[in-house]
Amino acid sequence: MPELGNLDWEKLVREHVESPPRTCGQDVIAELAAHLEEVYEEARARGSNDVDAMQRTLQEVENWDVLATKIARAKSEEDSVNHRTKSLWLPGMATLLGASALLALIQFAGFQPRVVWFGGHAMLFYWHWLVALPVFGALGAYLSQRARGSICARLAAGLSPVLVMLITMCLILPWAVAVDGFSSLLIASFGVGLTNWVALPALALLIGALPFLHENRVAETRRSAS
Amino acid sequence: MHTMTSTMTKRIRSKIARGSGELAILSLLAEQPLYGFEIAKQISERTGGALQFTLASLYPLLYEMEKRGWVEGRWQANHAGRDRRYYSLTVAGRKQLAPLRQEWRSFFHALDNLAGVSHA
Repeated sequence: MPELGNLDWEKLVREHVESPPRTCGQDVIAELAAHLEEVYEEARARGSNDVDAMQRTLQEVENWDVLATKIARAKSEEDSVNHRTKSLWLPGMATLLGASALLALIQFAGFQPRVVWFGGHAMLFYWHWLVALPVFGALGAYLSQRARGSICARLAAGLSPVLVMLITMCLILPWAVAVDGFSSLLIASFGVGLTNWVALPALALLIGALPFLHENRVAETRRSAS
Repeated sequence: MHTMTSTMTKRIRSKIARGSGELAILSLLAEQPLYGFEIAKQISERTGGALQFTLASLYPLLYEMEKRGWVEGRWQANHAGRDRRYYSLTVAGRKQLAPLRQEWRSFFHALDNLAGVSHA
């Protein structure tokens, strides 16, 4: 007989409540699973055997369909858009604004960028900014993690300044080609800009975001247990 | 006829349970932030088992209260290092507590006048 203590509670809840057309968010599934796990553990701590503890736990929900419907109704206005706002857009915006404000401040304070010549192209390194960027990467990823954002959301929130820059550059490139015509100089400038404003800042932001890109403890504990 | 009465009784019971649940949860959270399991456990313990919340009755109510802005859930690790969603009272929730208490006081008072329930 399998050890029920190692049961994947989230999987159990998901199987019951996530049948279409109702869709309970990951937050809800994790919360309900954690509750069931505690009920089970408490029953075990009181001396029940595995089977009795499991029976006691499953008594918490008489009818999963009714529960899923009630939760869907209760959550109807607080939908996934809200979750995405909390876990992606707001943390991403905080990182973007913070990093942009710092760059503006550095320029306003008169700190000069370090100029490095690369194949006839000047690369401007705002190294004060680059050094500080991990803090903003960490901020975005942390805020997203706190809002139960997925690893992708945390990564995107932490790297939001460079994602915005990348999109902007990709939009500008066709326009530049249309105006100035295609040339190797244009491509080289684009490459330098990409390195300067996307690749290096991305690396710095990623360093800060990395500690927040692991899975949450509950999932880790469960995986190692099973 | 019997079925109709039974449905009505269930509806009234459900409304009473819901109303008392809101008051119970708000009162508990006014003391300290708690996560769902703890809320259910404390309600049961502090009412001597008279009020029982299962997962199925607790969470729809909590989410409803959260939607109304009375409580706010936030994930954090508890003392055992596990991630739990702790609920705390918002300013709006705190404002609800006094009128709700008064409402229930009036309800019990009225019921007492009518049926003498406090002496039953």
